[in-house]
This record gives sequence, C-alpha cells and structure tokens, in this order.
Amino acid sequence: MFGIRLFLIGIVATAIAGGGFYVVKLQRDNAILKANAIKLESAVAEQQELITSQKEDFKEILAANQKMNELVSVLKKDLDDLDKRFNKKNRDVGKLAIAKTESIERITNGASALATRCIEIASGSPLTEKEKNATKKSEINRECPSIANPNYIPY
Amino acid sequence: MNKPTPLELENLKWIIITSNNAEEVFKRLEEQGIDPVLWGLTDKDFELLAKNFAQIRNQLKITNDLLDKYKEYYEGDLENKDEK
Repeated sequence: MFGIRLFLIGIVATAIAGGGFYVVKLQRDNAILKANAIKLESAVAEQQELITSQKEDFKEILAANQKMNELVSVLKKDLDDLDKRFNKKNRDVGKLAIAKTESIERITNGASALATRCIEIASGSPLTEKEKNATKKSEINRECPSIANPNYIPY
Repeated sequence: MNKPTPLELENLKWIIITSNNAEEVFKRLEEQGIDPVLWGLTDKDFELLAKNFAQIRNQLKITNDLLDKYKEYYEGDLENKDEK
C-alpha cells in the first residue's frame, strides 16, 4: 500500500517537474521568437529603405541619361552644321579658295580660332560672360553654339 | 577627386596656297624669316580634318559631362556635408 502511494507521489512530482521545465522552455522559445521577430522587422525596414533609395537612384540615372541623349543630339547638330558650311548648295570650298583666297584664308583662321575655343570648352574650360550672354548670331561661336552659348536660341 | 585641368590651346594660322599665289606665299614667308615650307592639305582633306576635330570635341564634351555626373553621384553627399 505504501509502495503504491510512493509510486503515485513519484508520478505526480515528475509530472509537476516536467510541466515546470516545459513552461520554462516555452518562455525561452518565446523570447527567442520575439527577438527574431524584432530582427526580421528591422531587416524588412532596412530592405524597404534600400528599395526606396534604389528607386531614387534609378530615377536620377534615367534623368542623367536623358540629359546625355539631349547633349548627343545637339552636338550632332553642330556637326551637321559644319558639314553644311562645307557643302551647302554644292558649295566647293576649293574653288572658292582659288577665287577668293584672302577672304577664305581669313574665314578659315577665324573658324579655326573658334573651333580651338570649342575644344577648350569641351575639356571643361568655364564659359566667359560674353559666351554666356550671346543671343545673336553675330555674337555666338558658330563652331559649337550648343556648348559655347547656352542662351542662344537658333532662329 | 579633382577634375582634369581644362585645355588651354594655342591658335594656329592657316595659309591658303594656290597655283596662283604659291610664289608670293613662299616669298612672304622668307621675308618674315620663316622657313619656306608648308604642310599641305587638299580642300577635301581640310574638310575631313575639321570634321575629325569636331568629332573629337564632341566626344570630349560627352566624356567630361559623364565625369561630372559620376562626380555628382558619388561625391554629391560629401559636398552637401562639407557645405553643412
């Protein structure tokens, strides 16, 4: 009889101890889960911040590309204009130079000086006030108005 | 990072020489104490040279502007911090 009682007490004590351990384990697991959830939330926030920043970057890159395409297009126009100066209406610069040697020499030297200035500007030389303020055909650098005269609107 | 120093170029003088003025041109050179020798281009080659230079200039401008954009992108924050 005493043996059975002792056995039952043993079972109850074991059950209570097991329950206690189980509760402690659950609390520990719960703490780990909470910590993980906090880390996860923080990681999600960081990712969202990164995505926002990448979207901004993408917008800036698109805008920069757009500007670059515009630049390429105006530079191409300068090149086309140069071609026109040589070949407009079947113009033959060679024959013109034979007929009006001095004038063509003067024009060539003037254009050469302007073209030299264009290369300086393209390499990063700051524009002069005169270049910035040029709005008339007579004031512009005809070799590269697109980069030398920002306020000139072709007419 | 500093940008490359902009170019400061020398102006050169073109002399147009034809079969009509060749003697006069060489005589003038000698009078000015310049060796009577010229490097020549035909009118077509002169046109090509002008166009080649225009293309180099355009490429230089594009590269320079691209450099500005990269500088703005990578150093824009630094410049803002410096201003603060």
